Amino acid sequence: MKIIETTNLTKFYGKNKGIEDVSLSINEGEIFGFIGPNGAGKSTTIRLLLSLIYPTSGKATIFGKNCFKYGHEIRNDIGYLPSEVFYYDKMRVKELLKYSASFYKGDHSKRIIELADIMELDLNRKIDELSYGNKKKVGIVQGLLHQPKLIILDEPTSGLDPLMQQKFFDLILEENKKGATVFFSSHILGEVQKLCNRVAIIREGHIVKIEDIKTLRNDNYKKVSIRTSNHNQKVFAIEGISNIEQVDGEINFFFNGDINVLLSLITKHKVNDVIIEEPTLEEIFMHYYK
Amino acid sequence: MNIILRELRASIKSMAIWCGVFTVLIFMYMSEFSAYANNEEMLAVLDGMPEAMLEAFQMNSFNLTTLTGFYGILFTYFILMLSIHAILKGNSIISKEERDRTVEFTLVLPIKRSKVVIGKLIAVIINCIIIDVFLYGIILFSIQSYLPEENFMEFLLLLFASTFIMQMLFLSLGIMFGCAMKQYKRSGYLGISIILISYVLSIVSGLSKKLEFLKYITPFKFFDTAVIKNEMALDWKYILISFTIIVICLTIGLITYKKRDLYI
Repeated sequence: MKIIETTNLTKFYGKNKGIEDVSLSINEGEIFGFIGPNGAGKSTTIRLLLSLIYPTSGKATIFGKNCFKYGHEIRNDIGYLPSEVFYYDKMRVKELLKYSASFYKGDHSKRIIELADIMELDLNRKIDELSYGNKKKVGIVQGLLHQPKLIILDEPTSGLDPLMQQKFFDLILEENKKGATVFFSSHILGEVQKLCNRVAIIREGHIVKIEDIKTLRNDNYKKVSIRTSNHNQKVFAIEGISNIEQVDGEINFFFNGDINVLLSLITKHKVNDVIIEEPTLEEIFMHYYK
Repeated sequence: MNIILRELRASIKSMAIWCGVFTVLIFMYMSEFSAYANNEEMLAVLDGMPEAMLEAFQMNSFNLTTLTGFYGILFTYFILMLSIHAILKGNSIISKEERDRTVEFTLVLPIKRSKVVIGKLIAVIINCIIIDVFLYGIILFSIQSYLPEENFMEFLLLLFASTFIMQMLFLSLGIMFGCAMKQYKRSGYLGISIILISYVLSIVSGLSKKLEFLKYITPFKFFDTAVIKNEMALDWKYILISFTIIVICLTIGLITYKKRDLYI
């Protein structure tokens, strides 16, 4: 069974496009990355999945159930960490977590203490006294306390220091090992690269590409820089080259195609130095955005 | 259940303030009443006032020098205050989630939106009842040193019954605005405007026979304190109208809230 499945999910805010024709299919046990710049439609997609907003057209199911009809049932098994965490200011952390836990079946008080320990969160503080990062920690504990089968993270690491980020990633990986599926939205590629198995790239409301993280990184894209006295970059204008630029004596470009063609081309010219390397996900990402 | 308790806990402070305000008001008015009570000269002064003014402020129907008359007039204002409380509370208890951006927490919990609204509605109803009971207690305490007229206690209970119906009516309007409108600021303004317009209409309708039809439009004329005093009963016709409005408002609120995009 697919954990999340959307078909041509579309949301317009009046005339403004939120997302259009987003089709995703996420398997059980996956850590699925969802990357795109701010305003690309990541949060819109997530809010649709949580039925906080309703689609203009298209379908979405979670655990095989229609998100918009059975939202309240589905949410029993979803843990959600929003990008910005807002809670009832006047409550204490402990009260808020207890309140949140009261909506889920079973006793979760042990798990709350466990998670708060890991995230070094003081349960006795008042919400409105907390810093941004500490509020985020409350969000993490609140999102995970009921051992959800699906964890939805929307830019989860903003506000957390690197040490806490690591602890948080470990926590997510641990939940994943126990069987939880993770939907991880972010605009920071490094963290997606670290955690995810597959990734969807979203841009201006459209899914540009869904790929295995390895394929995406390999995808035959090579980053090439050639140092040469021949300053005519046009000699490298062959099929498969993109983003060509010339800085001083260096010609840089991306190459996607038969590497032999490129090599034979290079040997025809007098070059001082050649670097052919794997582009980072970041660079591939930039490429998709051109 | 947890929603009701949380909302009640969150509104303890505002309830305490309302109770405090009523305590102060009652004692202020009672010290004023001590000057009026059975005072013949006062009656003479009142008789000398222009007819229209007396009519507008209902002083024609009430004898200010008796407890019945005094509270009959006071309650017009209490009902106004409690109606404002009810409509604002009804509106804000729904819209505050969007204002404070807590929707992304509350409505991601495994609970239907309609249950959230009903929980909140019950919390405000309890809130209103607590304030009413408190006000009733304070009034009983304040009249200890006077000998109430024969029908006063019955009259007072009828006043509270009409107050409660008005509270529920405006509460359901407030809930409807909070549920139906995405823009929480506008729904608050709309609530206050409706109250003020209805109140002004209720005063205007007393000024001239030609404007009497307004009494069907403004809820503040549904249970006219003067009529209650004379009839010693609430008009069933208006109880039914109020009940219908309440049911319609809550239904519209529940349906629209279930279907609309939350404002995040």
